[in-house]
Amino acid sequence: MQETEFLNLWKSLDERITENLHLNRIQAEEITRLKIKSLLSSMRPIKVFALAVGVVWIVWVDGLLVVTFGNASPFFWWSALFQVVLCKMAVGIYLYQLLLLAGTDIAEPVLETQARLARLKATTLSVTRILFLQLPAWTTFYLTPAMLRDSPLLGLMIQFLVTASAVVAAGWLFIHIREKNKDARWFRVLFSGREWDPLLKSLELLDQTRDYQGTRTS
Amino acid sequence: MDTARRDAFLEMADTHKGILYKIARLYEKDEDDRKDLLQEMLLQLWLSFDKYDGSTRLSTWIYRIALNVAISAYRKQARRREVREPVPETTIGADPETDELLDRLKAYIQELRELDRALLILSLDGNSYTEIADILGITPTNVSTRLSRVRQQLRQKFNP
Repeated sequence: MQETEFLNLWKSLDERITENLHLNRIQAEEITRLKIKSLLSSMRPIKVFALAVGVVWIVWVDGLLVVTFGNASPFFWWSALFQVVLCKMAVGIYLYQLLLLAGTDIAEPVLETQARLARLKATTLSVTRILFLQLPAWTTFYLTPAMLRDSPLLGLMIQFLVTASAVVAAGWLFIHIREKNKDARWFRVLFSGREWDPLLKSLELLDQTRDYQGTRTS
Repeated sequence: MDTARRDAFLEMADTHKGILYKIARLYEKDEDDRKDLLQEMLLQLWLSFDKYDGSTRLSTWIYRIALNVAISAYRKQARRREVREPVPETTIGADPETDELLDRLKAYIQELRELDRALLILSLDGNSYTEIADILGITPTNVSTRLSRVRQQLRQKFNP
């Protein structure tokens, strides 16, 4: 099939798609009366909510760290410190996402807008990595020196195994949950389910935009 | 003032409705999702209408918004897909042979990756390389290179 034949075929397709087409003026007019915010603004509330919850949690844990400094079990204190530092990093990412959103205009060139939106969604990976990294802190915060001193050997061994497993799992996931592994089987299993579909799709779109901009890394 | 603005918008939407319907048809297979997509496109055009300053062609501005909305639709699809699976479309016209070719062309375009799909639609719609470059945000040389690849694939598909 030649170029001109394709163009003729397209014209036929164009005619079929637009034939008998009339804009539903009443519906279109209703749209102009809606007090709905833009597509991008609608993404903002959930991020603002996450940010607010994160800030409240940080203030609470920071306060607790100050008050219990020198009094609390060192296991509790260092676990809480580790967790709150990671939480601050996650809050930083939500701030970055809000900044990306604020700078996005749907009327900008397609690649620019799509790259920005895909990057925004892809930063969810960083939040997930951070969430996994704090796993060990949740296996140590309740320990006290007395517990370690007085517990039976079996209890200590179980505790050690749980914490060591959490450290290994958190470290491995933190290192390997990256965009470059998005096609790996374990990655697809970990991020399977409808709630993760937009994330996987945005990673694919990010690949496409990089491909078009000639900045693809893998 | 508000009525005049609304009338101007409705006239603009009516004049360029073909762009919106075509993009919606080629980015969304499911009928209900397509209606949602069209509504979203109109809404985004309306919300950006005041910001249009005439520095680009009106059609360029409409293509940008329509394509950005269509490509971004995946954010909302996950929830909807659980309920509905798209039904394959069949074109019914006077000539069965042309209908079959049209179905193949439509299916081929829908199979393309989102950005390649946008590129081919813009090209088949008769936009120049410079106009396509302006809509997508790449150089005309890049448009030419990528388009020749997509067209090559299209030819192979139709002339195996």
